[in-house]
Amino acid sequence: MEGLGSTASGWTRRDALGLIPALGLVPVAGCAGSDAVPGDRDKASPLTMWAMSWEGDYSPLLMPDFTAATGIPVEVQSLPTTASHEKLLTAFAGGAMPDVLMLFNGWVQEFATIGAVQPVPSPALVADIFPGVLDATRFGGRDYAVPWSVAPQVQFYRRDILHDAGYDAPPESWDGWRTMARAIKRRRPDDYVFLMLLNWPTGLITMLSQAGATMLRDRNTRGNFQTPEARAAFAYYASLYADGYAPMALSTEIQDPVAAFATGYCSIWPSGPTTLKDFERRADLIPRHRWATARLAGPQGAGPVSGLSSSLCVSSQTRRPREAWALVRHLTSVPSELRYQRLIGNLPARMGAWRAPQLADPVLRPFARQMQQPAAAPPVIEWERIQAEIQLAAERVVRKVQTLDVALAALDNRVDRLLAKRRALVEAGAIG
Amino acid sequence: MTRQDRAGWLFSAPVLAIIALVFVLPTLLALGLSVTDYSIYALADWSNLRFVGLGNFIALLSTPLFWRAIGNTLLFAGLGVPMAIGTSLFVALLLNDATVRWKPLWRVLLFAPYVTSIVATAVVWRVLFNARFGLINRALAALGIAPLDWLGNPHTSIPAILIFVTWKIFGYNMIVFTAALSAVPADLMEAARLDGASRWGRFRHVTLPAIGPTLLLATMMSVAGFLQIFAEPYVMTLGGPAQSTTTVLYFMFDEGFKWWNLGQASAVAFVLFLMILAVTIVQTRIGKRHEWL
Repeated sequence: MEGLGSTASGWTRRDALGLIPALGLVPVAGCAGSDAVPGDRDKASPLTMWAMSWEGDYSPLLMPDFTAATGIPVEVQSLPTTASHEKLLTAFAGGAMPDVLMLFNGWVQEFATIGAVQPVPSPALVADIFPGVLDATRFGGRDYAVPWSVAPQVQFYRRDILHDAGYDAPPESWDGWRTMARAIKRRRPDDYVFLMLLNWPTGLITMLSQAGATMLRDRNTRGNFQTPEARAAFAYYASLYADGYAPMALSTEIQDPVAAFATGYCSIWPSGPTTLKDFERRADLIPRHRWATARLAGPQGAGPVSGLSSSLCVSSQTRRPREAWALVRHLTSVPSELRYQRLIGNLPARMGAWRAPQLADPVLRPFARQMQQPAAAPPVIEWERIQAEIQLAAERVVRKVQTLDVALAALDNRVDRLLAKRRALVEAGAIG
Repeated sequence: MTRQDRAGWLFSAPVLAIIALVFVLPTLLALGLSVTDYSIYALADWSNLRFVGLGNFIALLSTPLFWRAIGNTLLFAGLGVPMAIGTSLFVALLLNDATVRWKPLWRVLLFAPYVTSIVATAVVWRVLFNARFGLINRALAALGIAPLDWLGNPHTSIPAILIFVTWKIFGYNMIVFTAALSAVPADLMEAARLDGASRWGRFRHVTLPAIGPTLLLATMMSVAGFLQIFAEPYVMTLGGPAQSTTTVLYFMFDEGFKWWNLGQASAVAFVLFLMILAVTIVQTRIGKRHEWL
C-alpha cells in the first residue's frame, strides 16, 4: 500500500501530475504581461489600411512615397468587394479595425452612425470635391470621410458589334436601347446584348433613380415601391430579360464578365471605372479599338446615375489618428489621385485633378459629364440591405416566380419591416 | 471527496472550464440575445437595445424567406442523406468484394475529395455545371438530352449542389462502412450462401444487421450535417437563383453576420437547434427499438 510512488521528499507522482493543468495558465499570464507594455513597439509597427477592388491591390504602390516622406511604413490588406461590408462590421464589433479604411460612399453614414469612423479634422481635406459627393459622406452636419474616387456607371459598348447593327454609338433613351438590342439580337441570336448580373443591384437602382422613383417615404421609414415610377423601372428592367436581351445569370455563373464582353456574348456592359482597368489588363482579349463608353440610357435620355464611389476614413479605434489622417491626406492629394488614375483608371474625386491632360481621354468624357448629375441614395443605414432586397424582388419577377404587382407589394412589406427599428427611433425623436 | 475524486476533478477542470467558457456561456448568451432586438442600432448605442420576448420568433414565423429556407433545408436533408449514405454504402460494398484489386489505392482516391478544399472544388464544379461550356451538359448532349441550366434554374439548383456535396463527402462514410463490413462474420455469410440465400437476402439478413448500428450513427451524423448545410450553397450559388438554395444556416449567417441582426439570427439558431434535437431523438428511438444502441 505504501510505495505508490511516494518518495523521501513527500512528493508523489500523483502530486506532480496534478500540477500539469496549472502549466496551462503560464502562457495566459505570459500574454497578459506582454500586452501591458505598448509604447515603443508602435513606432516601428506599420499603419494598417484596408481597401477593396483595384484600390486594395494597387495601394501598396502609392506607399513608398508616403513612407519616404514620413518614415511610417504602411501595410495594405486587399478585401474582396462582395465580402467587405460584413468583414468591416465584424472588425468593428470585434475591435479589430485597421487604422485607415476605404468605404464605398453609401456605407459612410452607416459606419458613422455606429461610431466606427472619426469625423474629418480639417475642412481643407474635403475641399474642391465634386458637388453632391459630400452629401453622401456627411452625417449630423459633419464630414466623416474624404472622397477618394468617383465612379458613376456608364455603358461600355462593343464598337464593332454596334457598327454591324447600324449604330455608331448606343442610344441614350430606353426605347432607343430596346430598338438597338433588337437589331443586335437579330444578327446574333445566340448571344445577348446587356451584361447585367441578376445579383448586382446597381443597374436596377440606376433605372429607379432615372425614372424618378423616390424609393422610401415617410421620412425614409417605409418602402415606396408601388408607385408608377418604380413600376416603370422594374417593368423595363424585367422586359430586357423577358425579351432575351440580357442573360438570366448570377455572378456565380458568369465568372468572367470581361470574357463575356470580349467574346460578344454581351455587347453593352453598364459598369464603372474599375472596368477600364479590367480591359487594360486584358487588352489581348479585348483590344482598345473594339470598345468605347457612353452615358447610360434613361427613360427620356441620360439622367442621374448611381455608382460605387469610394472614400477614405480613419477608424475610431486607431491609436495613431494623426498618422492615419496624414496617410489619408497623402492618398487623396491631387498628385496621388492622378498617379492612381494612370495605374488603375479610377477617377479623381477632386475637381482640380480633372484639369490634368491625362483626363482629357475621350473614353473618360461620359464619366465627367455623368458626375455633374449624381443620384442621391436615401440616407438610411439600412440602404445596403434594402438594395439587396430590391434586387431579390427584381430577380423573382425576372424568373417569373412572382408577378410584378406581388413582388412590389412584398418588397414594400419587407422594407417596412427592415426599417421598423429606424421608424421607432424616428418617432421617438432619437434620430432625424 | 476522496483524494482520488479531487485528482479527477483537477484533471478535468481545465477542459470543463474551457467548455463552460467557449460553449455553455456563448450558448446561454445567444439564447439571451434571441429575446432582444439586437441590431446594428444596438452596435451603435447599447441604449437602443430592447427586450422583445418572443417577438423575434413571431417575426420569423411570418417571414416568407424563413419558411423557404426551412423547406430548402429539408429538401437538402431529405434528398441528400439517402444520396450520400447510399453512395457511401454502395461504394463500400463494391470495395469489399473479394475480386477487387488495389483496394488501398481505390480507398485513397475515393476518399480524396473529402479532404480537398471546398472552395477550390466548388469552383471546379461550377465550371462543370456551366450551362454553355460545362462537361456535364456535353455528356448529356452526347446522350441526346437537352442542356440544363444547372445552377441558374431554381428547380435544378438543389439537385446540382447535392451532386457536388455527395461527391465531396461520400468518402468519409465509405471508410466507416468499410470498417464495419470487415466485421461481418464470414462464417455466417458462408452458411447463408450454402443455404441458398440470394445476394439481396444475404445483404438484408446478414450484412445489414451487422452494420446496422454504424449505419444509424452515420445517418444521424449526416442528417445533422445536412441540416447545417451552408458552405456549399454559399460558394456555388450565393443562395440563389431566386433564393432557391438559401438554407436555414445561410439565412442565419445573412441576418447575423452580414446585417448584424444578431437578435433575429439567434432566434434562427435556436429553431435550428430544436430541429436537430428532434431528428436525433426520433433516430435514437428507432435505434433502441432495433436494439442497436
